Amino acid sequence: MEPPRSSGVGIDNSGEYSPEIAETLRFEEEIQSLIHPSSFDGSAAPTGGGSFTALLGLPANQAVELLHDSGAREPLASRIRVGEHPVHRPFHLPLDCSSAFPSNATLVDRAARFSVFAAEGSPASSSGRLKAEPQDSDSPPLDPIPTGPAKRKDTGRSKCDVRLSLSFKSQAKVTAKKSKNAEENTDGDKLPYVHVRARRGQATDNHSLAERARREKINARMKLLQELVPGCSKITGTALVLDEIINHVQTLQRQVEFLSMRLAAVNPRIDFSSLDSYLSAECGPVTVRNGPGGVVVDPSLWPTDATAEATRRLLVPQFWHIDLVPPQLQPQQSLTTWERDGAAHSQLLPNPTTSLFLYDPANSGDTNVPHRTAKLKTAEDRALNL
Amino acid sequence: MIVSPSSSSSSSAKTKKAMKKPGLGDQEETKWRTAAQQRIYGRRLIDALRATAPSGPQAVKEAADSALALTARGQSRWSRAILLSRRRPSCKFLLKARRGRMQPKPPPPVLKLGAPASPEGKKVSERLRLLGRLVPGCRKLSAPSLLEEAADYMVALEMQVKTMRALADALSGASLNAAEHAVSDE
Repeated sequence: MEPPRSSGVGIDNSGEYSPEIAETLRFEEEIQSLIHPSSFDGSAAPTGGGSFTALLGLPANQAVELLHDSGAREPLASRIRVGEHPVHRPFHLPLDCSSAFPSNATLVDRAARFSVFAAEGSPASSSGRLKAEPQDSDSPPLDPIPTGPAKRKDTGRSKCDVRLSLSFKSQAKVTAKKSKNAEENTDGDKLPYVHVRARRGQATDNHSLAERARREKINARMKLLQELVPGCSKITGTALVLDEIINHVQTLQRQVEFLSMRLAAVNPRIDFSSLDSYLSAECGPVTVRNGPGGVVVDPSLWPTDATAEATRRLLVPQFWHIDLVPPQLQPQQSLTTWERDGAAHSQLLPNPTTSLFLYDPANSGDTNVPHRTAKLKTAEDRALNL
Repeated sequence: MIVSPSSSSSSSAKTKKAMKKPGLGDQEETKWRTAAQQRIYGRRLIDALRATAPSGPQAVKEAADSALALTARGQSRWSRAILLSRRRPSCKFLLKARRGRMQPKPPPPVLKLGAPASPEGKKVSERLRLLGRLVPGCRKLSAPSLLEEAADYMVALEMQVKTMRALADALSGASLNAAEHAVSDE
């Protein structure tokens, strides 16, 4: 969905996975650096759209032969860990890069079979055009995007979809991702297939490819988890990392338990009115609760409830609002709480005096707030502000 | 330092969101780590606490977890599991019914890591199972989704711990103050 994007990275499920823009850019830079210094065999200039399909005037066989000839070259591109994303996004390079012709038939063939890079949205990609970068020595790191007959990526995307994978420039490792139809791809309207390229020397039948893609997915998520858990990046090995993760989760859960014990201990002695101070922080009013014999100000009750209601309504979709808190937040219940705490609560609505008192601080900010309240509020505010 | 919450939360939300890590966890982390989320959760927690004041620590913990799940807005499996199990604590059959309805796909086979025969694979699958038991509602989940849920759950837990700690500190400080003042008043 980003035709305008120069990187031309297709985004399939933007909702779920955000594209690795950084990687894309890096990748592109790599490609660019490779492309520009090298000289092209501009034998076939790409058509205006930069579709590499034009390059493939060669029938597939020839392309394959070509590939086989220069089989030694490794595709550069495959650094792209496209596999990390459930949906494979072909990397699209700006059109300038196009140009080389597929000289390496093997690679083209492989690419054709396994990785489908749809050429930019044109239907040209539909038929199995092979685009390969020809490169005997120099190299266009670009590679035409071979579109396997079965797997083509349909794209409405932008111009040059080039898959670097066949860059012959250096003996870069070939990391290929295999393309397959994975369920996770199907949701993106643009990318029905996951394109993964097979690694060099690895099995390329469907099962292993599927497994490899699956494993890559799992590895990607493990990497994420590793980043979350402190100190996990240095650990190698899935089992150990999982150990750490489990440990961390257990630690966090234990902490929650301890904290809940603390809160339970503190609870009976809280004047919840002061809590409302940060609940109603947006409304401004600071409430003071003088339990014994003081003026009971429970203005907080009112605005708090309003706020809470508003919050609940705003934040909670219908299904959720039934949950948890609402029944208990009824004013009468809070009344009982307050009563329990010794407040004189007869009212839901604050009486005139208290309401005046309430709104005074609201209007005048902190100035009228008694010292105690201010202290409470600031302490709690500080806590919440963290 | 009473800053208007909306602005402060938005600004700090921006700064906290600044780092957009590429990848899947991106959204979840930015979602959970914003200060706004913390406030939301804090509020919910306070409400819940107020409601369950008399009970002991278990109720507090449950309330906290439910509040956390609520803040997740039902987008993650563990949050749904928590909420469903709390809503009607004694309705297991309801749970099953809901499970059937709410889970669009049937529970996939338990973690197959492709080659569990190998000792490493066995260890890994064992640990994955353990992880599945830790994260609520994720016992029978495939490896990639389990890992995803675990990541989300971890970030949420971190936020929960932070908020609860702040709240506990504030409250204990406040109650101390109140006690002092009460004493001094008398």
